[in-house]
Amino acid sequence: MNNALEISHLTKDYGSFKLDDVSFTVPGGTIMGLIGENGAGKSTTIKCILNLIHRDGGTITVFGRDTLREERAVKADIGVVLDEVLFHDLLRPRQVGKILSGLYPNWDEALFTHYLEKFGLTGKKTVKEFSRGMKMKLAIAAAFAAQPRLLLLDEATSGLDPVVRDEILDEFLAFIQDEDHAILISSHITSDLEKAADYITYLHKGRVALSGAKDELLDSYGKLVCGRSALEQVDQALLGGVRTGQFGCEALVKDRRAFARRYPALTVDSVTLEDIMVLTGKGDAQ
Amino acid sequence: MKGLLYKDIVVLRKQISTLLLFVLVYGGFCVTGVFDFSIIGVLIAVFGLTIPMSSVALDDASHWDRYAAATPAGRKGIVAGKYLFTLLVILVSGLAGIAIMLLLSLTGLTDSSFQELIAVTASCAAAALLLDAVLLPFLLKYGAERARVISMVTFVAIFGGFALLGGLASHGVRLPQFPGWLTAALPVAFALTSAAAYLISFAISLGIYQRKEF
Repeated sequence: MNNALEISHLTKDYGSFKLDDVSFTVPGGTIMGLIGENGAGKSTTIKCILNLIHRDGGTITVFGRDTLREERAVKADIGVVLDEVLFHDLLRPRQVGKILSGLYPNWDEALFTHYLEKFGLTGKKTVKEFSRGMKMKLAIAAAFAAQPRLLLLDEATSGLDPVVRDEILDEFLAFIQDEDHAILISSHITSDLEKAADYITYLHKGRVALSGAKDELLDSYGKLVCGRSALEQVDQALLGGVRTGQFGCEALVKDRRAFARRYPALTVDSVTLEDIMVLTGKGDAQ
Repeated sequence: MKGLLYKDIVVLRKQISTLLLFVLVYGGFCVTGVFDFSIIGVLIAVFGLTIPMSSVALDDASHWDRYAAATPAGRKGIVAGKYLFTLLVILVSGLAGIAIMLLLSLTGLTDSSFQELIAVTASCAAAALLLDAVLLPFLLKYGAERARVISMVTFVAIFGGFALLGGLASHGVRLPQFPGWLTAALPVAFALTSAAAYLISFAISLGIYQRKEF
């Protein structure tokens, strides 16, 4: 299986914020979910892949091609949905298609029409009259019609209702049935990624806090729910973060099996991606 | 590139229509003798200046460049597209100006010769090219809103300079006399200077855009 995207030691220093030594890979035929709190570096990472900002260090390759040296060819293989829709208000979907057909060498007008019909965007309305959901659908239709091998989606499903989100997630799953396709999707909505992603990279304060196969992460991590006195007996090195409340404590357990062997009396529950994010953030605050 | 040109034409269709209406109205004023026919030439320069500025303003409003830079067109394509569109605006409005002048000349509504009218139109087109050469790097660096003042100053400096020289000459002030060959070569030299300035401006804008972060 070839890697669709390889990011190695990516660094971008803004002074007040630093994307620090970020490395991960997205294998072909998979969806990588990029999670993290606001300002963790998700959008910065995607901007670096697209050369929208100048990185301070590191290398990025898409299907083996360097994004700096072969920028044009690389971008022809990338479909993009950014966190906001950037088409002019006065444009109609057909006009958007005509514009993009002049920019993407592999543009498929029939495919664009197919998605416009599927998403109910065939009317005479302009972008200005679209709801956020419709705008996002238009951007997604455009990204698919460019016939990319890699889709980069920056918060593409945020602000959409659950029905539309589910519909779009199905499209993403259909897209990666081809082993030569892959998706990198950043999202705050971790439930979407639990449904669709094969791999997860969690960015925390500009660094990779964890990266790996989603099922393995959810299988190895656990959530300890116990009282304060029980928590005080636990080796803190086994924990990723702790949330202390009035009625008890919650802690992120890094290796639930090893933990269960050492503390058989304590119960470790399964975790969600949101638990991992929230508890890691809490641990960091403490 | 083709897509970027099409985008500029589509989003500015309404404004271009309005400006064409202006040409008709001012043309009417010229026929009735309210304005001199040279006003058509000035309109060409105004089009060459305002249409690219509006195009950048609309791109700024929708943050279109962030998207365009992520496409295969990239930064270079955005800059090339904007310079090509500006050139197209000057060319089309120049040709429209020449067509109006030809019509006026053929119908005998002006005492000026057709050659004189063409010279006015071509000079204004060259002046517009020079203005855009100065303005476009500022537009692409600072955006339409902040570059507006610079455009006004440039417009006043270039056209005000010409008007001042014309005024001085008409009041009998003796301006430095150039040798005959130089005077004859001035229109061509001005056109070549404008074209060269436009090319240099393109190179500067490319440099500005290469450093830009979206």
